[in-house]
Amino acid sequence: MKPEQIRKKISKIDRELLVLLQERMGLALRSNKFKETLSDPQQENDMLARAERLNLDLIESTFTRRLLHTIIDETKRLQDEDRSLAAFQGEHGAYGEVAARQLVPKGAYIPCLEFIDVFRGVEDGYFDLGVVPVENSLEGAVTQVNDLLTTTDLKVIGEVKVAVSHCLLATEETDYREIRQVFSHPQALAQCRNFLMRNKLEARPYYDTAGAAKMLARENPKAAAAIASSLCAELYDLEIIKEGIEDGPSNSTRFLLLAREPHPDNGDKTSIIFAVPHKAGRLYAVLKLFADAGVNLTRIASMPLRSDPGNYSFFLDFEGSDKQEKIAAVLKEMEGLTKWMKYLGSYPADKTI
Amino acid sequence: MKNLKLVARETKARTVVKVSGVEIGRDFVVIAGPCSVESETQLLETARAVKAAGADMLRGGAFKPRTSPYAFQGLGIQGLKILEKARQETGLPIVTEVVDPRDVSWVAEFADVLQIGTRNMQNYSLLKEVGKSGRPVLLKRGMYSTLEEWLNCAEYILSEGNPDVILCERGIRTFETYTRNTLDLSAVPAIKELSHLPIIIDPTHSTGRISLIDSMSMAAAAAGADGMIVEVHHKPEQALCDADQALTPDIFATMMRRLRPLASFLENLPSESTAKTNRIK
Repeated sequence: MKPEQIRKKISKIDRELLVLLQERMGLALRSNKFKETLSDPQQENDMLARAERLNLDLIESTFTRRLLHTIIDETKRLQDEDRSLAAFQGEHGAYGEVAARQLVPKGAYIPCLEFIDVFRGVEDGYFDLGVVPVENSLEGAVTQVNDLLTTTDLKVIGEVKVAVSHCLLATEETDYREIRQVFSHPQALAQCRNFLMRNKLEARPYYDTAGAAKMLARENPKAAAAIASSLCAELYDLEIIKEGIEDGPSNSTRFLLLAREPHPDNGDKTSIIFAVPHKAGRLYAVLKLFADAGVNLTRIASMPLRSDPGNYSFFLDFEGSDKQEKIAAVLKEMEGLTKWMKYLGSYPADKTI
Repeated sequence: MKNLKLVARETKARTVVKVSGVEIGRDFVVIAGPCSVESETQLLETARAVKAAGADMLRGGAFKPRTSPYAFQGLGIQGLKILEKARQETGLPIVTEVVDPRDVSWVAEFADVLQIGTRNMQNYSLLKEVGKSGRPVLLKRGMYSTLEEWLNCAEYILSEGNPDVILCERGIRTFETYTRNTLDLSAVPAIKELSHLPIIIDPTHSTGRISLIDSMSMAAAAAGADGMIVEVHHKPEQALCDADQALTPDIFATMMRRLRPLASFLENLPSESTAKTNRIK
């Protein structure tokens, strides 16, 4: 190995150490919610024993002990900070984390495998907050999330629009001319369809954009690339081959912030879901209430009701808070017209939307 | 020239190639920039200077076909990213060379115009690939090629469904050694007789002498060329390739100041039936 290569390898390892520590801290904060942490001496002995078993001649036990103490002290300091645990779907570097960082500035961002893990985790109190995408400007509704919004009891307490700029990422050793398959979340692949077609690349669906980047960095499959955020290039030490490869010039995703309790103050935007019976003019009658009260609607979307095929649930966002009299009156009247109705919450609107 | 079904003069009205606001075949278009992209500073400084002097597009090579395999081969995709940055900053569309058919779709992701260099003029697989790229192509004349051979190469690109070809006369090999090559200026009116495609000239590679560039550019404008492509480097003495033929930004700006009055003069000449008038902006 040449000095240059050795230097590169060392800096790669240092980066991986930091990413692993980040993961460890996240887990420690999560364990805080259970009030039963592994005792420190136990952990210390385990680690020392492991070092011995591995016969790591360069890692002496005094160093191991010092290192562990430093990590444990930092963990305790973090636990005392009492940060909000904000869960998002995907690995670190996912767009959900980008949104979470904007919505919960001083939070601890916890990756989850599936959307349902975010919802369940918040419901069961393992996380304080959840951040989920509801709609993309190019691809439309994120149906899984909209479905979970109807079936769970969480409240919406905030929203943010995140500009999505996809990058084509590959490991340093990969020659871009040899790339044949591109891993990413199906939504991201769909948003870059023209780019993939122009360059004759095969789309390979993966559970997450950042997960694809992480897999690429760890497994380095042949002739492969990933589509993910530029944050992922940094986190997983990947090369950005091309930035801004999405088809539309303005690609953005709207994320909602979820909590168990509604927003304490007066919001200026409200979200509800409802279903109406199959009767002529019933949907119209509901919408007329808003028109008559002079309430501006910002989103109307319909989705098939899973529990009741042939019927639809309607997602409605409008300006104003349920604490305003005219809106409270509209909601009250709506109850009589709908088959089913769910109030998601009033919250501060993202003014850029 | 029987086989020129698509590029022949009689098949079509004069082609105007549109590249984000620049119209090649209507205005006298000036493409300027360094031989190769060497660094972000080098390219951005040169881009700002040529923009200020009134250039319409930016050139810069990321893939260099060099005579010697040991000469600087270009920064590759890194160079393309720097070119993209320069476009974002200056708004100048990017012209860059592609040398490998496997690179065509990737270079097309970054550049506005794909350049086929003189050594690759008859690289038919490369021509077919740029014909499918959906980007305008600047096709340089092979240094040993006849006009007919050259136009046949353009025919290759058009036959793949790409109508936007800009021809570029860059000098041919003769027995003369004082100049690097001999700029065949008669190719300009000759191509105008034979084809509807726009033609520009390259005074840098054809003469290889800084002192001749200004005169040959003026002569090309007078001959009816649709523009020129010229090498400018913010610090020519430090250039990694063709250091002795790049103009400094100052000399380039002076030349641009001389070209403008010539243009308005040419515009006011009584027009010959076949000649077309070009405006120099």
